[in-house]
Amino acid sequence: MRRGALALVLPLVFALTGCGRLPGARAEATPARPEDVLDFHTLYSTNCQACHGANGHNGPAMELGNPEYQALVDDATLRKWISGGMPGTEMPAFAQSAGGMLTDAQINAIIAGMRKEWGSPSAFAGATPPPYAATQAGDVRRGQQAYQARCASCHQKPSRQQVTSPAYLSLVSDQALRTIIIAGRPDIGQPDWRLTDANGSARPLAAQDVTDIVTYLGSLRNPAAVSAAPIPVPRGGTQ
Amino acid sequence: MPRLKRIYDWFEQRLQVEGPVKEAVLHKVPRNTASWWYVFGSAAFTLLMLQIVTGILLALVYVPSAAEAWNSLNILNHQVPLGWFLRAIHAWGSNFMVAVVFIHMAQVFLFGAYKFPRELTWTVGVFLLLMTLGMAFTGQVLRFDQDAYWGLGIGVFILSRVPWAGGALVHLLLGGPTIAGETLTRFFALHVFVIPGMLLFLVAVHVWMVLKLGINEWPMPGRLVRKETYIAEYNKLAHEDGIPFVPGAFWKDLIFSGAVLAAVAICAAVFGPSGPGGQPDPSITQTVPKPDFPFLWIYAVLSYLPPSMETPFIVLAPIAMVAGLLAVPFVAGEGEKSWHRRPIAVLALSMVAVSWAVFTHLAMLTPWSPHMNAWSGDTLPVEYLREATPLVRQGAVIFQAKQCRNCHSIGGHGGERGPTLDAVATRMTPDQMRYKVVTGGGNMPAYGKNLSPPEIEALVSFLETLHPKNEPPAFDASQQAAESSGAPAAGSGSRTP
Ligand code: HEC
Ligand code: HEC
Ligand code: HEC
Repeated sequence: MRRGALALVLPLVFALTGCGRLPGARAEATPARPEDVLDFHTLYSTNCQACHGANGHNGPAMELGNPEYQALVDDATLRKWISGGMPGTEMPAFAQSAGGMLTDAQINAIIAGMRKEWGSPSAFAGATPPPYAATQAGDVRRGQQAYQARCASCHQKPSRQQVTSPAYLSLVSDQALRTIIIAGRPDIGQPDWRLTDANGSARPLAAQDVTDIVTYLGSLRNPAAVSAAPIPVPRGGTQ
Repeated sequence: MPRLKRIYDWFEQRLQVEGPVKEAVLHKVPRNTASWWYVFGSAAFTLLMLQIVTGILLALVYVPSAAEAWNSLNILNHQVPLGWFLRAIHAWGSNFMVAVVFIHMAQVFLFGAYKFPRELTWTVGVFLLLMTLGMAFTGQVLRFDQDAYWGLGIGVFILSRVPWAGGALVHLLLGGPTIAGETLTRFFALHVFVIPGMLLFLVAVHVWMVLKLGINEWPMPGRLVRKETYIAEYNKLAHEDGIPFVPGAFWKDLIFSGAVLAAVAICAAVFGPSGPGGQPDPSITQTVPKPDFPFLWIYAVLSYLPPSMETPFIVLAPIAMVAGLLAVPFVAGEGEKSWHRRPIAVLALSMVAVSWAVFTHLAMLTPWSPHMNAWSGDTLPVEYLREATPLVRQGAVIFQAKQCRNCHSIGGHGGERGPTLDAVATRMTPDQMRYKVVTGGGNMPAYGKNLSPPEIEALVSFLETLHPKNEPPAFDASQQAAESSGAPAAGSGSRTP
């Protein structure tokens, strides 16, 4: 009788103690609501990386992982663009107050995460870049000269000429151009404002040069000049 | 012992069940029905019992209120000892039951067992199938997580297409115009009282008829069913070459039911309960909901149907299917039972099985809804942008920003409502792509009004780069001739100011 009881009880004990370790047992935490997620990597990879690239590099839009970019821009500006979007570009507004999906706490978590992951105190190696935002008005003619002198060396190759095309310029804002000129985009080979001159010696752009070049590029922006080609009814004859 | 016998007799004298039970248990069935093919009905019955027992246990903890349902399932999963196992058994029992009921039905159909005099058994069986599916659907809703919410949402959408009565039906089912607390109470009542009550009653009728009419004999080619002679023939068969139902045929039922129960337990232990997934909340759209597998195929079919066909299909198809099933024994109530002589029946069954499998497979592989997060979460493969010009890069941004990615995959990531675009430039010329983007067509939205000319140019110049290195993009021969003679290339990506 006693042995019988043991035979009954033992498997039960095994079952009760071992079952928690069966593969089907639920151990993971219950799923969090999307707006409770505060982990930078999760937030960045679900909301930003499609345009800004995995880890902030090699995306089609601005290289947020560039340490010089992080050093150039302050938190308030980041918050402004992320919350409300960047007018004149495809950068969407993410704050719930602007119709997006992210809470203010989440936007702060993204900013803090970018600073921690991608920021570097020595990004400029002691140099002082032109300010992030333009402070005075620019001049188209001076800008054109500066562009010819400083940018054309690289950008006159046919494949790089699009920087001055009305179609491209219709799709980027002045601020985006300014950011690219100052902080550069190491992932695509665009240098920062510390350009070398024709002789190969360093001759950084002055703040006024940057503003003038952006003004010049802005003067070329002309969406009306880009006529989408008339829509032809496609003929089947592709090869 | 004599005392036990006395108690037994006391009850028997009053209840008088010994006779009927003995008759049911010992009644003769044709020897060849004691086959492994005849075990599915009893297995379905066993699974029903399992569902009732586990269901009652679940009801002890489950709270059928919109605010508490989701939490109570999480409590079962994480706090109640073996609560997760109970949920898993109930969920897997449901999957198995649906599968076994379908197999049972296919077997009955293939063996001609619905023919005279078993037409009513089949008819009741069709309703049992519907109730089993009803149980599976209402049960999935009780989980009240995101899958349930969206699964129900689409079910309701289907219902709302019913002409005239659509709105009223939705209201009746949901207890209001939207999915809310009343919806859950309603589904709880359906899942726990209404459908099980009908199910048990119909099961009793079904089993009664099986016992009374005898188990279908093994079909023999050439042995035709005729209303005038069948009963006599069957009785002869059962008596001359018959064995008592218990134990002659019954032991196989027992073994198979045991095996099915073991399989349920193993699946439950290995794969665990389903969900609950994310909280049900209409404001959470960052989700890829998926209904349970018996209903997956419906969603696949719906996502492949052209929109103009949806309403007729949604309204007519279920009616046609049920009517078709009910008509089977009345259309073909006599004649051959053997599948060797019923090619149309065999073909019809295989066709249904293959289409069901294909659609379920499609629904599991390809999401039947767009990937809502692809536009902001799926990166473009780095090598696709390595040679990019500024305009191409802007085109890529627009491609993401306009949510093309939610329907089109690139580099293996993204939605699959539309074709994958990795090599689209080898299939289409820039003009054709521009035409497609602007005018849409075939489930592809028309973007003509929502994109500016520069955006279209950028987008097309990005699409133009989508071809493997060693495979040149498609081009239009006549246009090439024009280009080389100096006419401007219409919007080609490398156009310069
Ligand atoms: C649909 C594409 C897209 C998504 C998704 C996106 N961005 Fe942007 N973002 C852009 C574009 C385009 C610009 C403009 C600059 C450019 O053209 O490179 C931009 C600009 C920015 C800028 C300002 C750059 C400057 O000039 O100072 C910041 C900061 C930024 N994005 C952060 C984010 C963050 C953080 C996320 C995720 C929460 C995000 N972006 C998601 C497309 C996107
Ligand atoms: C050392 C060579 C070099 C110089 C000098 C240079 N660039 Fe670039 N630039 C590049 C390369 C490489 C790219 C990436 C390839 C491309 O987009 O064609 C690029 C890209 C760009 C882009 C597009 C960025 C994007 O996100 O698509 C802009 C805008 C740009 N350059 C502006 C300028 C301006 C303005 C100057 C002058 C201040 C300048 N560049 C000077 C090499 C250079
Ligand atoms: C709602 C889902 C959806 C969205 C969003 C969408 N598409 Fe499509 N797309 C489709 C479907 C479905 C087809 C197949 C249409 C057909 O059968 O002709 C298609 C076809 C195409 C084709 C033709 C591909 C081929 O091989 O035939 C191109 C090019 C295309 N889409 C580009 C885009 C672009 C660019 C965008 C963003 C501006 C976009 N699509 C957005 C669903 C979508």
